[in-house]
Amino acid sequence: MRDYGVEKDLAVYNLLLDVFPKEVFRPRNVFQKIFVHYPRQQECGLAVLEQMENHGVMPNKETEFLLVQIFGRKSYPMLKFVRMKLWFSRFKNINPFPVPRDLPKDPVDLAVLGLRHIEPDLSARVTVYQTASSKDSTGTADPTQQHIVGIQSPDQQAALARHNPARPIFVEGPFSLWLRDRCVYYHILRADLVPPEEREVEEIPEEWNLYYPIQLDLKYGRGGWDDYEFDIDEVEEGPVFAMCMAGAHDQATLAKWIQGLQETNPALAQIPVIFRLTGSSGELLASSSGLEEPSPPPPQEQEEEEDHTQRQQQGQS
Amino acid sequence: MALVHKLLNGSYILRKGLKPSVAACPFLSTRSADYCSSSLQKPVATPGKASTQRTAAGGLQEDQREVALDIPSPEEKPEVSFDKAIKDEIKEHFRRLKDEIVNHWIGPEGRPLQEIILEQARVVWQFRGKEDLDKWIVTSDKTIGGKSEVFLKMGKNNQSALLYGTLSSAAPQDGENSQSGYCAMISRIPRGAFERKKSYDWSQFNTLYLRVRGDGRPWMVNIREDTDIIQKTNQMYSYFMFTRGGPYWQEVKIPFSKFFFSNQGRIRDAQFQLLLDKISSIGFTLADKVDGPFFLEIDFIGVFADPAHTEEFAYENSPVLNPRLFK
Repeated sequence: MRDYGVEKDLAVYNLLLDVFPKEVFRPRNVFQKIFVHYPRQQECGLAVLEQMENHGVMPNKETEFLLVQIFGRKSYPMLKFVRMKLWFSRFKNINPFPVPRDLPKDPVDLAVLGLRHIEPDLSARVTVYQTASSKDSTGTADPTQQHIVGIQSPDQQAALARHNPARPIFVEGPFSLWLRDRCVYYHILRADLVPPEEREVEEIPEEWNLYYPIQLDLKYGRGGWDDYEFDIDEVEEGPVFAMCMAGAHDQATLAKWIQGLQETNPALAQIPVIFRLTGSSGELLASSSGLEEPSPPPPQEQEEEEDHTQRQQQGQS
Repeated sequence: MALVHKLLNGSYILRKGLKPSVAACPFLSTRSADYCSSSLQKPVATPGKASTQRTAAGGLQEDQREVALDIPSPEEKPEVSFDKAIKDEIKEHFRRLKDEIVNHWIGPEGRPLQEIILEQARVVWQFRGKEDLDKWIVTSDKTIGGKSEVFLKMGKNNQSALLYGTLSSAAPQDGENSQSGYCAMISRIPRGAFERKKSYDWSQFNTLYLRVRGDGRPWMVNIREDTDIIQKTNQMYSYFMFTRGGPYWQEVKIPFSKFFFSNQGRIRDAQFQLLLDKISSIGFTLADKVDGPFFLEIDFIGVFADPAHTEEFAYENSPVLNPRLFK
């Protein structure tokens, strides 16, 4: 059924069930009821329902009516139908991050959907820096422009503005994200962790606001004996400043993204940006401020985070 | 049909003196994808490798490639000697026995009683070093002839574990399995002295907490209870874990009341809640019928007692499916 693209279509399954003769397989007397009446046919009906289940198609009243007509109410396909109805409705909405069933075909729309999916901050802004140019008047095989879509939240913008220009920031990627059955790749712009001695602690002057305290240290209604913290050091990683999804994973496209980011983050012009891309030739230094810096050795752990097959496909330097 | 996958523990050489019990390690590698059922896998004993002294952190699939992640260079190969290994093992087991007896006086599991009683959040598995990876076994459908690959290794800066690989749902053409394509990471059953099976007691907790970073794929979390009774080896409680994808760490909290019961890979009509006093292992399965590479980074796995969660069991039995329960 996958060849015709109708595996998720309920009407097709109902028509398939319609092929069965209607009143033949129903048990008529008690002996037929004890033994499984027409077992091969019941198995066949079960196979149809199982395929429906595998593709996540919810059966409806018409299916129920057909099954009752064909197999009777106490048959195995009918039992399976009842189970499907029960468990499907129980598990319908358990995904806390739902992805729509019909994914958009346009890569830019898909990128927007993906970026909104992974960014928990709802006030983040999505910017389309470039759309893929599909009209090729010169007739070259691949379009010269790939789509670039970026996302950044106001908190990230503020953090980038505060970032110390002496420390470089890295463009890492590509990481894979699966939306239903489509895989898209995204890159992130992040900085390394600031070592504890260099971390600045923001001091809020006490009398900033006289009407209510700025820092409130209440544990609402919980006793002091409650301790829900886990006894483990949290994995600390550097802050993420922005994310993007681009059609190509090479440095030229990502450099365009950085240039686009510079419009909203003028501080980015002073900060050296290092591209740590897997699949390309290790690390390359691209500094927007023109500072000369020796490129640090490519970190092994960085690249191993990526998918193995992707590495093998694109080759490793 | 008892499904038995015999797996050797990687950390001992030649286990001649110490036979594991019969129901020792029947690990089911996986079950269904999203809703109900999957094909029953035929019983296959994965050919056990005589494991050498270094532990195999990768899957116990027979390819040398997986173990190739840890193979030391030829100059460093440790001297393998039969007598020494046997002596080491005997000493190890007596040390464990001594620890157990001493711990019995200190308190349950070697910690003082008041600490255990007042504990509200416990880290059960963490991934901070190679020895933490040894507590897990990684399987895929290669055991039934499929083509998925899965590997487990330490992540960045030794702060997390990375489970990655490729899923392929091409069914093995052996006439028995019509569906394929799963990968699983299962924890080993905790062993005491002389390989006796121990179990976890989580009766004061009610939620499972995972800190993961995935790639958007839906995983399934399976919990198996104490496997001394042979029927229980095929029973497990499962629930789904949906990863978000993205560079941020995701906290997944699954209350134990949401786990549904399944036997031999099929979800059952008669549902009962998961009892927490004898848990033997937990596992993560990926079988979402989408071919392609995947990865899952796990920081730690813990249990805690969520005071806001008062539900005892999320699924009620229906009289249509289970008339006998409602007589």
